[in-house]
Amino acid sequence: MADILLEPARLDYTPQMLPEPEVSFEKHPEHKHYLNHEYGLLSWLLTVDHKRIGLMYLVSVSIFFMFGGIAAGLVRTNLITPTGAILELDQYNKAFTAHGTIMLFLFLIPVIPGVLGNFLVPMMIGAKDMAFPKLNLASYYVWAAGALFFVWQLIVGGLDTGWTLYPPYSSKYSHTSVMYAGLGIFITGFSSILTALNIIATVHKMRCPGMTWGRLPLFVWAMYATSVIQLLGTPVIAVTVVMLAVERMVGVGIFDPNLGGDPILFQHMFWFYSHPAVYIMILPGMGVINEVLTCFARKNIFGYKAVAWSSVGIAVVGFLVWGHHMFLAGQGYYLAMVFALLTMLVAVPSAIKVFNWTATLYGGSITFQAPMLFALGFIILFTIGGVTGLFLGTLGTDIHLHDTYFVIAHFHYTMVGGMMFAWQAGLHFWWPKMTGKMYSDFWSRLAAIVMLVGFALTFLPQFAVGYLGMPRRYPNYPPEFQIYNVLSTAAAYVQGIGYLMPIFYLGYSLFAGKAAGNNPFKATGLEWQTSSPPSPHNFETTPQVYFGPYEYAVADGLKIIPLNDGKIHDIVHEDPDLVGTTPKEATHGS
Amino acid sequence: MSHNPHAAVHEEESVHHEATPDAKSFVTFFVLAGLALLALFVGFSDLGSTKVVASLAVSTVQACVLAYFFMDLRSADKLTWLVAAASIFWTFLMFLFILTDFLTRHLGVL
Amino acid sequence: MAASTVEGPVAHHFNNMGQQLATVRFGMWLFLVTEVLFFGGVFCAYTAYRIWYPKDFEAGSAALNVGIASVNTFLLLASSLTITLAIRAAYVGNQGGLMRNLLLTIVLGSAFLGLKAREYYLDYEEGLMPGTAKVMQKQKVEQNGKEVEIEVAVPKFDIALEEVLKREHFKGEAHKDYDPSRVMLFFMFYYSMTGLHVLHMIIGIGLLTWQLILARSGFFAHKSRYVYIEVMSLYWHFVDMVWMFLLPLLYLCGPHTSSQAIEQFKMAIGLSHGGH
Repeated sequence: MADILLEPARLDYTPQMLPEPEVSFEKHPEHKHYLNHEYGLLSWLLTVDHKRIGLMYLVSVSIFFMFGGIAAGLVRTNLITPTGAILELDQYNKAFTAHGTIMLFLFLIPVIPGVLGNFLVPMMIGAKDMAFPKLNLASYYVWAAGALFFVWQLIVGGLDTGWTLYPPYSSKYSHTSVMYAGLGIFITGFSSILTALNIIATVHKMRCPGMTWGRLPLFVWAMYATSVIQLLGTPVIAVTVVMLAVERMVGVGIFDPNLGGDPILFQHMFWFYSHPAVYIMILPGMGVINEVLTCFARKNIFGYKAVAWSSVGIAVVGFLVWGHHMFLAGQGYYLAMVFALLTMLVAVPSAIKVFNWTATLYGGSITFQAPMLFALGFIILFTIGGVTGLFLGTLGTDIHLHDTYFVIAHFHYTMVGGMMFAWQAGLHFWWPKMTGKMYSDFWSRLAAIVMLVGFALTFLPQFAVGYLGMPRRYPNYPPEFQIYNVLSTAAAYVQGIGYLMPIFYLGYSLFAGKAAGNNPFKATGLEWQTSSPPSPHNFETTPQVYFGPYEYAVADGLKIIPLNDGKIHDIVHEDPDLVGTTPKEATHGS
Repeated sequence: MSHNPHAAVHEEESVHHEATPDAKSFVTFFVLAGLALLALFVGFSDLGSTKVVASLAVSTVQACVLAYFFMDLRSADKLTWLVAAASIFWTFLMFLFILTDFLTRHLGVL
Repeated sequence: MAASTVEGPVAHHFNNMGQQLATVRFGMWLFLVTEVLFFGGVFCAYTAYRIWYPKDFEAGSAALNVGIASVNTFLLLASSLTITLAIRAAYVGNQGGLMRNLLLTIVLGSAFLGLKAREYYLDYEEGLMPGTAKVMQKQKVEQNGKEVEIEVAVPKFDIALEEVLKREHFKGEAHKDYDPSRVMLFFMFYYSMTGLHVLHMIIGIGLLTWQLILARSGFFAHKSRYVYIEVMSLYWHFVDMVWMFLLPLLYLCGPHTSSQAIEQFKMAIGLSHGGH
């Protein structure tokens, strides 16, 4: 019995571990990890290592986030006065369009799939890399090229149609770079399709022995559902943008009322993708929350199956609700009613997740490091955002609220209060794994609070002013709304400072941070079984999985952790050689 | 390398994936060519409003023959069938909702 | 032939050949899902307008060259055959057969494109190009009870369409039961849908050429690499499938006769100069 490790059940212990981490730098200081095993620019530019590609996305996405943030700053500053403080009318149109398009296409959609998805999905399932590593690299370059081209077009020609690109303004009357900007969107969309394809193939075909679908970390379920949405939805916006570009080029087109065309058809095809797109944005964030909550509450997730299937449910039902963006556009009444009903339905899987997260927290042993602060903030803010969506999904109230600041507050609560903070939670949670360094606990907690409070106060007044009737996308407004706008802008600056803070303490950690160790947060999951930073091929030997993903606390009984002896051990309890007796006997045994 | 239960599954998959013998491919081609002639025949005929239904029916049969034989769905695993079915189903959903709008929009106010 | 006997190198991140083959195939099927939705989008838009404007779409279709389209259908079907033969050749290690069939597929696909280019050129010559170009035309109108001749700006497309429909003896032409601007809408779909199809064919031919070059360099000497020909064929068959739906929706929508088709094809290859 000398080579069996027995662990009594108690809180704050780490099961499902290989008895010793495969590599630790204390024992093997000469061990090369994925960052230092190869040097040189080409080793990065031509890498097929999913972890390096994840880092490349991290750098690029963060840069574009800054651009989007600057655009937001311009918009909010301009709104300090009722007649526009710093921008001309057409400049304002370009500013809010730039903010929307950059934040959506160049940040929210690619950030978690590109950074955390790439980095973690292979590791979480025990694989050495993605299914198609070279395609992964090509995906990154296609995305970067499209993104750079898109931003360049925003700078040289601008785009003033709003991120929704509705014709006939976008096809006939706008004097901005609609066609080329559309091409940029097309290219980045193509990249997201390839990433999604890679993730789906990886999850289906590359799981290590014992990693059944029921033992997958919920982050992987979420990434899988996200990838399915991307695969099914993105091609439709691709062809829509192509049709719009053709109309712009030729002068007439299929959305042109002069020919008998219908601008509402554009809206249908646009929103067929763009509504699922918001689920592409939020599902990975929800996946991260599962990982962070279970770790910092030291508890198994409540209702694993419900959470896993709710991701699939969101993916499916999310495709059937797009018409709620078009209630006032002129679509048929019968269809509008169907969409309203289905919109109520799509809220259910999200609510299921929130209930399960709350139940996970109940009875847990909770600590408040930065990832947990972001995760808790997520639950509160996303719930507020989601609930306000119900007012917009109801036909009657939407007549009043459509195209007002209420809509803007709603989607910022879900996308920023939800997704952005889930990203921050994930970044802070896996930073030690990706870089091997630990950041300052104090500064990260402070940054979390600044971001959360700044964000909440930015958009809270916008619910009020939207309800009072201030339309969105207008640079001018009645003077009685000014107080709301000023409050919102002031909080926006606080929020902006919050976003800048991680640059400092995370950057500092790269140079002078403490070595993080393999598992600083004592989390479960195969990615934490590797060294920090991980080896180039993740695992020295193929892992063998015995338990579910969140075995933080076991109600009773013994947990046996066999050595990775090359044999398959199915259910541990059934093998008499491995079953121990009581914890006391076991620890006082051999 | 330790014994991998997944290895057995994936090995089995490929065992059944023998590339189609040439004779069978030629037969499929002639069937498809015959269907193409049928499609042209239907297209050149004067069936009135049923012509589009008949045309699309022929196209659908053609597509099914092509997918089942040439694209080897015949020997593909369940997952591949699911993927193919999902693509058709999602396209159908898109058609269903959008065409409902175009069919019902001018039916007047509720 | 068991997969374990399909010899070839296994990539570093795969555990065995079976996993590698299964994954590569699966990846291509996933990509085809996106292509179905891509074309599905524009087909859906087409269907929406066809529901609204059936007569005008019939008129537009009557103006298309169905002769070229018919021949192209068989060229594409033949190319689907040859690429399937190429898979078998690669599977058994017949390098000569592989290269021959790849080349045949490329030739047949290029022939399709050549005829398509001719078709587009004829459309251009006939003036069937959507756009905002207008010409001044003298028209007789009633003004204050008298018939007066005035100059009206008429879209070039309308005039061109009228001529083509007269030539094709389109029944609706006499009573003008079509609206030229709606027919222009049809032509937007014609060019977009066939254009996207052509683009996919060009990409396909490019990939086939690359595979041919690889075959010449002995890449497919490892029999396991037949899977790459197989996934290429999946893409190529899909492009064929799109054409199977384009033909009836665009070309066979309007009234044509087989003698018209033959005449149009003759015109395409220069054996006749239109007008019968």
